[in-house]
Amino acid sequence: MERRFSCTACGKCCHGLLPLTIDDALAHADKFPLVVMWTPVRQGGRSFRVTADLGITIQLKKRKLAAVRIAPTAYIPRTFPCPELTEEGLCAIHAVKPQRCRTMPFSAYRDEKDQDDLMIPRSGWVCDTSDEAPVVYRDTSIIDREDFEVERERLVRDAAILKPYAEWLLDSVPSLRMELQKIALKPGGGWVLVAFSTLIPRLPKVDIYTFAEKQVPVMKAFAQRTADNPGLAEFHQRYVDGAAEWETLARTQS
Amino acid sequence: MRSRFAAFVQGDLDYIERTHAKEVRDDFNRSAAESTAKSVEWVSLEIRDTFSGGEDDDTGTVEFAARFKKDGALQIHHERSNFRREEGRWVYVDGKMNPKGKPRRVEKVGRNEPCPCGSGKKYKKCCGV
Repeated sequence: MERRFSCTACGKCCHGLLPLTIDDALAHADKFPLVVMWTPVRQGGRSFRVTADLGITIQLKKRKLAAVRIAPTAYIPRTFPCPELTEEGLCAIHAVKPQRCRTMPFSAYRDEKDQDDLMIPRSGWVCDTSDEAPVVYRDTSIIDREDFEVERERLVRDAAILKPYAEWLLDSVPSLRMELQKIALKPGGGWVLVAFSTLIPRLPKVDIYTFAEKQVPVMKAFAQRTADNPGLAEFHQRYVDGAAEWETLARTQS
Repeated sequence: MRSRFAAFVQGDLDYIERTHAKEVRDDFNRSAAESTAKSVEWVSLEIRDTFSGGEDDDTGTVEFAARFKKDGALQIHHERSNFRREEGRWVYVDGKMNPKGKPRRVEKVGRNEPCPCGSGKKYKKCCGV
């Protein structure tokens, strides 16, 4: 079984939510509105094992577990292009773009043998999967593994921070566990969004005031761009709250 | 423990940092702790339980509830903290948020056993009717 794939730089995958490594989130804090996304994956789901290894597990009823993926995420509506996507449809920060973008179409959040569907262009995408395109995936193996491996390595490194962070936050905010359990049992799945400020105390080298100053204008800009769209009310509220929180934080600086 | 609470109230982050165990010091985000200390108004400290931590001990555990106000709302920080004696001084090692107490055990009284009320009668003839 072979999959052929070649990127045509259509820019269609440069839209919407973008999971980031911790380093990528910090490096681009002046560009992306950041949240921490907690996504339950039920036992028996294909990526249960890898999600449990990179994140945490929580107990559900009937002795079942759910794995929870904990990902710093650029919280961008599906219909919105990445703020760094230029009018020519190219990446403005190509040289320093996030590892998530580099690894496309593969994903280190999933097992290597579970990548097959990722090379099928989603509706509207114009990836080249014709016979002209090179074979990139054969017999459940990625041909050029470099970016996949770099991303996986970083996710493993992040896990050392995200696992204790997650356990600590679950202990601190009991309602979070209940919300995750509820979503894990929902047929459609879903996620819980947590403010990025909860993660900062676990990142000893990050100055919270500098970080706050980067996030305030980003949150405000996105709040403005979503203000008149009732369909994006959820996003809008998150940006408004984010801007307010970071602004308050920035003000506590002596 | 109380001194660290006092330091938090006064925003004396130097003291907080000095009373951290070695392994905590590297993981401590001072700016984040400082901004938290400044954004809340501390109300009270209640020591709920202590385990060892006496003059002859090298480790100690304190369970406490610190009440504070944030954005006008009263909240509780409930933690069980572990301390260690390092060069004669107590330092903070780690803590568990909202710790659960020991599970409650309920002893079942047999119908023919003496009644736990102390009457001397069988349970079934006394309180267990």
